[in-house]
Parts: sequence; structure tokens; C-alpha cells
Amino acid sequence: MIRLPPGVLLVASLLALLAACSNDPHPKPFAEKRPDGSPWLVRYSAMPDEPKSLDPQFAYDEMSRRVLEPVMDTPLEYDPMKTNPYELRPGLLEEIPHGVPNAKGGIDYECRIKRGILFHDSPCFPGGKGRELVVGDFLYAWQRMCDPKVECPALSALADCVDGMNDAYEEAKKSGQFDYSKGIPGFEIKDPYSFTLHLTKAYPQILYWLAMHFTSPMAREAVEYFDGQKHAGETKQRPSYKFHPVGTGAFSFAEYVPGQRVRMRRNPNYHTVTFPEGGWPPELEKLNRPLAGKPIPFIDEIEITIFREALPNWLLTRQGYQDGMGVGKDAYNSVVTPIKTLSQSYRDKGMTLDKDVDPSTFYVTLNMQDPVLGPNKKLRQALSAAFDRQSWLDIFYNGVPTVADQLIPPGITGFRPELRNPYGFNLEKAKKLLAEAGYPNGIDPKTGQPLEITLDCVASGAEERQSAEYEQRQFQQLGIRIKVIENNFARMLEKEDQGNFQMASGSGWMADYPDPENFFFLFYSKNIPPIGKNSSRYIDAEFDKLFESMSSMENSPERSQIIDKMNLKLIEDCPMILSFNKAGYVIVQPWAPRTHHNVMLEGGIKFLVIDPVMREQKRREWNRKPLWPIGLVGVCLIGLVMYGVRWNRQRHV
Amino acid sequence: MFSYLIRRLLYTIPIIFGVMIITFILFFAIQKPDTMARVQLGKRATPESVQTWLHNRGYDKPRFINWDALKKHKVTIKEEKDGHTRTVTIEESGGSLFDSIFFHQMWRFATFDFGKSDVTGRPLKEVFKTGAIPSLLITVPAFFAGLATAVAFALVLVFLRHSPIDTAGTILCVMLMSLPSMIYIIFGQALVAIGLKYFPAFGYELNGLSTMKFLLLPVALMVVLGLGSDTRLYRTIFLEEYGQDYVRTAFAKGVPISRVMWVHVLKNGMIALITLTVAHLPVLILGSLLMENFFGIPGLGNTLYLAIQTTDFATVQAFVFIGALLIQAGLIATDFCYALVDPRIRLS
Amino acid sequence: MERFFDQIWVQNTLVVFGFVLVFGLIVLGSRNERWQRAFRYLRRDRLGMVSGVVIALYLLIGALEMIQLPLGPGHSGISVLDWMTDAQFDAGGKVKRGIATEKSYSAPLADRSLSVAKPEPLITPGRHLLGTDALGKDTLVQTLKACRTALIIGGLTSAIYIPIGALLGVLAGYYRRWVDDIIQFVYSTLASIPDILFLVAFLLVLGKGLGKMSFALGITGWVGLCRLIRGEVLRQSERQYVAAARSIGQSHWKIITRHLLPNVMHLILINFVLGFSGLVLVEAILSYLGVGAPLGTASWGAMINGARSELSREPLVWWNITAATTALFFLVLSLNLFGDALRRAFDPRQG
Repeated sequence: MIRLPPGVLLVASLLALLAACSNDPHPKPFAEKRPDGSPWLVRYSAMPDEPKSLDPQFAYDEMSRRVLEPVMDTPLEYDPMKTNPYELRPGLLEEIPHGVPNAKGGIDYECRIKRGILFHDSPCFPGGKGRELVVGDFLYAWQRMCDPKVECPALSALADCVDGMNDAYEEAKKSGQFDYSKGIPGFEIKDPYSFTLHLTKAYPQILYWLAMHFTSPMAREAVEYFDGQKHAGETKQRPSYKFHPVGTGAFSFAEYVPGQRVRMRRNPNYHTVTFPEGGWPPELEKLNRPLAGKPIPFIDEIEITIFREALPNWLLTRQGYQDGMGVGKDAYNSVVTPIKTLSQSYRDKGMTLDKDVDPSTFYVTLNMQDPVLGPNKKLRQALSAAFDRQSWLDIFYNGVPTVADQLIPPGITGFRPELRNPYGFNLEKAKKLLAEAGYPNGIDPKTGQPLEITLDCVASGAEERQSAEYEQRQFQQLGIRIKVIENNFARMLEKEDQGNFQMASGSGWMADYPDPENFFFLFYSKNIPPIGKNSSRYIDAEFDKLFESMSSMENSPERSQIIDKMNLKLIEDCPMILSFNKAGYVIVQPWAPRTHHNVMLEGGIKFLVIDPVMREQKRREWNRKPLWPIGLVGVCLIGLVMYGVRWNRQRHV
Repeated sequence: MFSYLIRRLLYTIPIIFGVMIITFILFFAIQKPDTMARVQLGKRATPESVQTWLHNRGYDKPRFINWDALKKHKVTIKEEKDGHTRTVTIEESGGSLFDSIFFHQMWRFATFDFGKSDVTGRPLKEVFKTGAIPSLLITVPAFFAGLATAVAFALVLVFLRHSPIDTAGTILCVMLMSLPSMIYIIFGQALVAIGLKYFPAFGYELNGLSTMKFLLLPVALMVVLGLGSDTRLYRTIFLEEYGQDYVRTAFAKGVPISRVMWVHVLKNGMIALITLTVAHLPVLILGSLLMENFFGIPGLGNTLYLAIQTTDFATVQAFVFIGALLIQAGLIATDFCYALVDPRIRLS
Repeated sequence: MERFFDQIWVQNTLVVFGFVLVFGLIVLGSRNERWQRAFRYLRRDRLGMVSGVVIALYLLIGALEMIQLPLGPGHSGISVLDWMTDAQFDAGGKVKRGIATEKSYSAPLADRSLSVAKPEPLITPGRHLLGTDALGKDTLVQTLKACRTALIIGGLTSAIYIPIGALLGVLAGYYRRWVDDIIQFVYSTLASIPDILFLVAFLLVLGKGLGKMSFALGITGWVGLCRLIRGEVLRQSERQYVAAARSIGQSHWKIITRHLLPNVMHLILINFVLGFSGLVLVEAILSYLGVGAPLGTASWGAMINGARSELSREPLVWWNITAATTALFFLVLSLNLFGDALRRAFDPRQG
């Protein structure tokens, strides 16, 4: 009855299989060695979601930007070393253009393109070799922005100031087809290597737009070639250009597998920019000095794995299969001890911790058109003073981000480090303000019952739910009653558009570009949803006037004064409960130190380095497999079988 | 038999139609198409860009029926002729009654054209083709391995019936059934992939035999997930067979018990078993939402989860359509299996 | 409709009513000879009796959370369980009795909060038998409170799907022809939609809430029972006693209520018990998909779902997931075992 041999065979083959199979989840790199015999360097990074599109004129979400950053070069780019404040440096352009007033009362920017820059090698070009970048590729990008079929989200901001963009859009909408043979009046071609942008009004922020992917030059051949169809004589279907960008960046796009990964390989023709000559903070001196002025990139391949769950990313980092990881809020607690250092088990592995402060501000929106909250400034201030931001951050983010005392986050012009929010957490003050607002002890004198306010939140994850519950508890300390309504993201958007809420938790803004205009426009009266993002529906004539004058000015002491005034006005009027500036920790593996900390770069992978020898060694060290559990399971099984056999024999004897 | 098939196929048409109506109503009750556009267009959406988005995807049409078709519109056209401008008023009907989102969609589905995803713009046919492979790679092995394990367990239990092992085994099965699937996945992943480091904790790559290392753990977990209920069910089936007269006859003739178990009981029990399980076969292609999501396997279950999360209506609708078709296919297959294995049943 | 089910008193009343109904049925059924035989058999079934007692215990705890006392702020009412466990402070701010809500995590029986750097003393040290969760709520109390959630989801859903399923099943099986055709069409259509998708879509439409969840589960969950009853009624109708009843001119209504229903009642009872256990499990998955119990309602599913990130903490937070899983496991296990015992009792041949 006992067929031991096959059993033993099975266990043995299982053991052999286990020994042979590695727990490395990454696919094989594109090459083993460089042509010169040195090791092929791969950098493994991660992102938490899918890119929505890789069309530079359409993509606007963070994930798409992360993928596009190494692939698509922009006319200007952020200096990787300058973070406080952020600074631009030339990318595809020879130099940063300067605004010159023109005859029509607008401003002109003359842009000269670097010569000899080549597109990535791609089958869309004759012979598969990338051709030289010319001014027509910039024009094509600007035309695409105006094409209704492309649905460019930057259009509304740019069409406001660039001559003729709106007309081109309207015309194409009417005829149903964008005419690419016609130019755009605001984009004047001087010669094959320079163009002039004609602005109808002063808009200094245009330079920041030149550092975003919307203005990246596009090769028309690529859009036409990668049409997602199968052509006669070809074995495979061509990818769609929407997920196959072709640019001039340091890395050429290789593949995107939805739900899994994005891969890129080094662009051998890249020489647009070099590693900065200096300007780095002192702690990077040792690492960066030998790299100064060297051609980039230093690595040959990038693999970005898409982790929709935070846990696996954390696991693979612990096993050494990821070269560093942004610590999402789910994992803060596991990685970071409350004294804001790395947990012991990580330090033992040689990992270090870097803190990145995002140029962002989060707040609870208060609806200014609500009959209860809108007219009652004291009530809004009382609510603001009742919210204990620091312990909220302690519980949910392990105290990593900073409490926001003003709308402008650190690192952006106009941020005042000494400014404190007078309506920051102070329960006594909050109670006093509430009494002054007409609700002593939270009781509505009209009904004799506690005042009830609804708090809308997007709560799908477990932590979001707990956070909403915490906020509810905080406000209820005032004696009022808070009714929490859970929404999905779409429902929340709908409510914001209709103004159908009292308080909305979890609103926030990540800077598109490091200028205070990009934050103050959230409270500009012409930006009330569905047109813009002023979801608290704050309308104030004085604020509007200040905003209009501020947004057309270059940075100057006068501008700073206006910014200060606007900052204080918002704090006093309290159309929102300021809560925190998002900050994240990054776990850095010992073999992959970071050469810069610029968050505006969305990774800035082209400046990074790696030590493959140390990685290989650590990986092996961290992934030893114990084999005794298999033996234990085997012994248990055999014991059970023998018991069963004996029992059966006894019964049948 | 042939006429039965035809009738059965015709019967699926109203069912599919009903399914589509239900999902259509459900999904459009969740949100208006313009909210979908807002979600997709991100933080700088404007009313114009929303309108363009809707128009590019055909969501600016009426939802069910184009009532405008019944009304006559007066359209004024300015005409220029010989330097004179004159206005002409013509009556124009508002198009077809069925020029609506729903009927366009139905027509597309009827011709098996699934269109494109609302979120990514990828053609859904391609999405299904690429997603089906990883899904099948998990569900099909899990299905057969699960079937084999559960049958083997059930046979062992029947073999040792009324022994302490049988009792313990049955209770163990109930215990296995009494834990939520998440617990198995969380602990399986933590124990085998992290603690013992046998398999990658995450990921997938289609690359010959090395694909196995990604699949073994999810497949094993799926087998364990179904083991409790399946073993119990099969045990009942085999016990029933075991009580039949022919088994007693076989014993009386002196056939050894192992032969009775493995040949007679298993063979006859399998008939009942196949008819029970064949309905699940076509649905396997849709994959397993939980497994794929936890292990980062880019199958159809994962796609569906994402489509729900991002309210990608086009994808969800296509999923429902294909899912309904597959379920119907499974039912038809079951009917045929019954007729094949049991000559007393005639399909009519 | 679904809003109606979301009111606490409606939920409580319905669930209590449901259990009274089940109890009444059992008493009524005890006059039936078949049921008497089953009960006699059941009483000898040790495993069945033990699991029955465990279920009764869960019912009792759930009832403690369900019954509202006219106390609390503004006499809005608090549950008996809250009244028993909530911390009472004396004038000096000291805790007289009960368990207080802490600031955040603390380990079982600890007197300090869970923190490597600066553990703070707790308000009620040593009284948190199973520790506290992220918001400082006592895990044991939350686990016990979640019994009510499980009972409501199971009970309320059964109260919705059993009448629908049983009625349609009997009608389809008895009248056959076009009635059967229509009912079959409806349930084949419903069954053709992948169920997770259907549930999630439904809950996204309705929003969150125990009542809404039960409503969605009930609307989608009757198909299995309907099929079962239809098949059984089809079989019973062939029997002679139905033909006899028809021949002496009894009305359809009488045949259904006097003859058919009593003969399928035990199937409904078994289906109720086993279905209950399935519903408790489904709640965990729905929580994962983000459409689970609403905020502020303790539920095992939400606790398990929340524990996914707790398990990667250092030091490990294991008590939430353990408490929730254990509580859920024993309820589902007892329900399954009791269901089996019932099935054996009604059909001793199969055991």
C-alpha cells in the first residue's frame, strides 16, 4: 500500500525545484554587459498606480509624469540641486528665454533650440535612426495642445495668454478636424532652430510650463507610425503612440505592460544636459563631486514596477529587489519609528532614510455658500482651532509631514517660516470662538440641540476611514455633532461641482509649478467649480484684485508684499481648515544613494547612480531559504499516511 | 439535440439583453457621464474639455432613447446668394429614435466590437487578450489541481470512513470553509514568500518555465481556498456511490477494496462530479480578483478591480457582457454533459 | 427603501422580529412529526448542540449591542454593551470603572501606549485585554460590538432574500408554465452577472450602510434558494398528496400553505443557517473592496482589512486581526456545523 518511492521522488523534485527557483520577481535585463564589457546597470524603482496615458500633451497625472520624465525632454527643466527655492535651467533650449514687451502690448519670449539633438532611435524614422530635433517638432506639440481630439488639460491655462490658441481650438471643434498645416499665431518660427512665443498679456509662469511635458517636442512621424494597427508585412501589431512615447530624453521607452511595469533603456545619443557642476547641499558633496559635469545617464536600464498595494513594494525592498522606495502612508508606521529614524531592522541592513517635502498643502474645505458656515466667520475659525493637526499627523503619518500654517508650502516663493496660524489647534480658543459665533457649547439656540454639520470624505481605504473618524472626534470636542458621509471619488467630485457639502475632508493641491499663483488660484472667484478648483467657493473682491496683479508680476519685493497680504487674508477668512504639507520618507538602499532631492523632477532618474556589486551581495545575503519546513511537512504527511494505513488494516482484519 | 442547441442559444439573447440593461442602469445611476469625464480629466478640467471628452466617446448622446427624434426642429439657415442674404427655415427631425448611448453600445456588443477603455483608451479586445493568459495560467491549474486534491482527500476520507481521521478531516474541512479568503492570502504571502522566501512575493512574467515561480503560490492558495467545501461535497457524492448495490456486489465477488475505491467508486462518482464542475470552466477565464490583486498578476480579475475603482464604464460593461456569455456557455455545457453521461436524460 | 433599512431601530426590530419568527417556526414545526423526529435526533447530536450554544452566545452579545438604553448625551440612547464598558470618570477626572478610549495603539494588557520612542501611560492601564486599535478603541469591545454588525448583515439579508426566494420558488414550482418561465428568466439574468461586480456596483449606487448592504445582498442573493425550492416543489407536486388535495377541490392557496410550504420549510431553515455563515464571510471581502460597513460601525471585515498595514508595523500589531478573525471564525464554524447537524437531523440517511 505504501508507495514511498514516488512520494520521495516528489519531495526530492520539489526540493530541487525550490532550490533552483529564485524569488527575484524582475524579468531579465535587456543585456548582461555593456558593449565595452562593464556591467549593465539596472535601476529598479516603483510607482503605486498605472500611468493614465503616455501622450505628453494629454498626460497630467503623477504616474504618467514619472514615466515621461526620463523619456521626454522639455525646453527647460528644474535644476536638480536647487530646491529652496526651486530654479529652472535650460533643457532643450540654449538658455532661459526672457520676456520682452512687444508692439501689441503683450510679451514675447524668444527661444533658441540646442543643435544636434537627436530623437530616440525608432522604427518610425527612416532607417530606424532618430533624426535631428527641429523647431517643427515644437510647433507640432503646440498644435496638438490645441487639437480637441488630444484633450490637452493645459490648454485652458495656456490659451488664456498665448495668442491664437483658443481660435485654433474652436475652429478645429467646428470643422471636426484640426488643420496641422496651419500655424498658431502665438508660435512664430524664426528659423529651423528658434521660435518666438507671443503672449497677449504678462504671464511669467509660462517659463514653468516650458518645464512641463505638455511643451515637449513631438515627432510627427511617431504619432503617425504608432497607430495601434497591424500593417501588412509586419508580424506584430504596432503599439499606440498613446503608450509609446518617442522623445529626446536620456532614456528611450521600451515597454509598458499594464498592471506590471514600465521599462526604459539608455539613449546612447543623449547629450542634452550634463550632471550639474555644483550647487548641491554639503551632505551630497562626497557623492556628487566625482560626478560633476559628467555626461548622464549613469545607468543603462530603468524598470518601474507598478505596485497597487503598498505591502508588496515594502516586501521587495526588504528583500533587496527594489532600489529604494517612497514610504507610503500605509508603511510609515512599519518603517519609521516615532522619533523619525529608521526602524532597527532596516538600519541593520544598511538602509538610510531621506525626507522629501512635497510642494503641497492639504486642507479641509469649508463651503462658503453653505447657509450655516458661509456667513459665520467665527464658526469657521472655531472649527479650525478645534482640529489637533499634530496628533493627527502623529497617528496617521508618524509625525512626518509638517503642520500647514499657511496655504503656501515650504520651498515656494512666498512661504513665511515664521508665520503661525492664529486659528491653529487651541481647544479653549475654539470653544470661545464657537460661543462668539452664536453656538455656546455647540448648542444651536434655535433648536436647543447640538449644531449638526456634515463632513464629506473619500474613504475607501482602511486608513482613510480611521482618519475621517478621528476628524469627527476632534470637531465633536466642541459639543457639535459631525455627520460623516463616505463617498467614492467620483461622487465627491460631483458634490464639489454642485457645492453640495458643508465640510469636505482631504482636499489638497500638489504644485504644478513652484509659484504662489499656483496655490492662490484655488481661491480665485473665477475658478469656482466646474470651471476651476475653488471648491470652497470663496469670493472676495479684494483677494481677486490682489491675485490678478500678483499673477502677472515677476518676483520682486512688491510681489512678496502682495503675497503676504493674500496669505494673511486667507488665514483670517478661513475658507478652509489648513492641515498639513505632505511629506514623504524615502528608504534608500546602501547601493543606490540619491544624488539629489528635487521632488519637482518626479524622480530625476537620469542623475542617479547604482553599485551593482553590493546589490548582488546583499540580495544573496537577505534571501537565504530555509529548507527544514518542507522536511517537517513531509514527515507529518508520511506519519498521517502510516496511521491511516494501520487503521484501515485493523478494521479489515 | 440540434434544435435544443438552437433554442438554448436563442434563449440566451433575452438574458444577455436583460443583463446589459441592468448593468447600464446601475452604472449610470452611480454617476453621470460628465462626472466620469471630470474624474478622468483631473484637476484642470473645464466645462469645454468635459464636453470634448464626452463627445469623443459618444457619451453626449441621450442615455436610452433619443426622444428628440419625435420632435421636429425648426432650423434656420442663413444662405448667401448673389450678394443677398436670406434665411431659410427647414424642419429637421432630431435623428433616429435609437441614437442613444445604450443602443449604440448594444449594437457594438452584438457585433462583438468592445470599443476602447474610457480611462486608458486601449482597445478592450487587446485588454482581454493580454489579460486572459495570466488569468488562465492561475485559474486552470488551480481548478484541476483543486479538483484532484479534493477528490483524493474525499476518497481517503471515504476509504477511512467513520475513523477518527474521517471525523477530524470533515471537521477540518468545515474549519477551512470558515475563514475569510483574505486571511489565507495574507498569511500565505507572509509565510511562504516573506518568511521562507521560496517564491517571489509579488509579480509576474510570462517567460517559459520560470513563470512557474510566480504562479505556484497563488495556485496553491486557491487550491486551499476551495479545498474545504469541495472535499465535503465530493465526500458526500462518493459515500452515496459507496452505498450502492454494485459496490456491495463487487465486494462480494472479492474485489480488493483499493480497486473498488479507485475504479468503481471514483469512476461513477466522477460522472456526478463533472456535471457539477463543468459550469465553472468557462468562467475561469475571468480570473480571480483577490489573488491577482494581492500578487500583482495582470490578469482579467485585476483589470476588473481597476475598472471598478476608476469607474471605467466601457470596461465594466464589456466585462459583464463577456461574463454573462461565459456563464451561459457553462450552463449549456452542463446540460450536454448530463445528456452525455446519463442516457435517461434527453435534451428536448 | 434602502434608507428605511438604514435606521438603527428598523434594523434592530427587523432582526429581533426575524429571530422571533424563526423561533416561532421551530415551535410551530415541532407539531409536525418530521420536525419532532429531527429535533429528537438533533438533541443527541453533541457537535450540533455545542455549536448551537455558541451561536446563542453570539446572539446574546449581539443583543447587548442592539438594545438601546435611554441614557447617553441628550438621551440619544446608548447600547447596553457601551453602557457596560464605557469609562466613567469621577469629578477629579479619574476613571471609576470601564475602559477608556486611548490615543492610539497599545498592546494587550499593557499600561503604556505602543511606541518605541516615547511610550505614554494609558488612561486605563491593564484593562485592555486585547489591546487597542489605531484610534485607541479597545479591541475586545470592538470585536464584541461587531457581533451586532454580523447579525444584522446575516439576519436582515435573510429577512429580505428568504421571503423572495421562497415565494418565487414555490410559485414557479407550483404554477409552472408562464409563471415559471418569467421567474426562471429573472433569475437566470441575475445569475448571469458576475456577483462581485453586481454587489459592488449596487453598493456604489446606494452608498454605505449596513441596511444598504443587506438590501444589496438580499436583492442579489435569492437566486440559489429560489432554484432549490422550485426544484423541491416540482418534485413534491408530483406526489400523490398534492393530486389528492387538488382532486378534493382545495384552493391553490391552501395547497401551497398547508401542503407544499411545510414540506420545504426545513430546506429554508437549513439554507438560512448556512447562508448566514456565507454572508458573514462576504462582508470581509466587501470591506476589502471598499464598500463594507460604514464608518463608526465596528465590523470584523473592516478590522481584518485594516490589519493589512498593521501586520507590517514594527512592533507588530497582531491583536486586531487575531481578535476579529477568531470571533468571525467561531461564528461561521458554529453556523456551518449547526447547519450540518440540522441537515443530518432532517435527513438522517445522509449523515
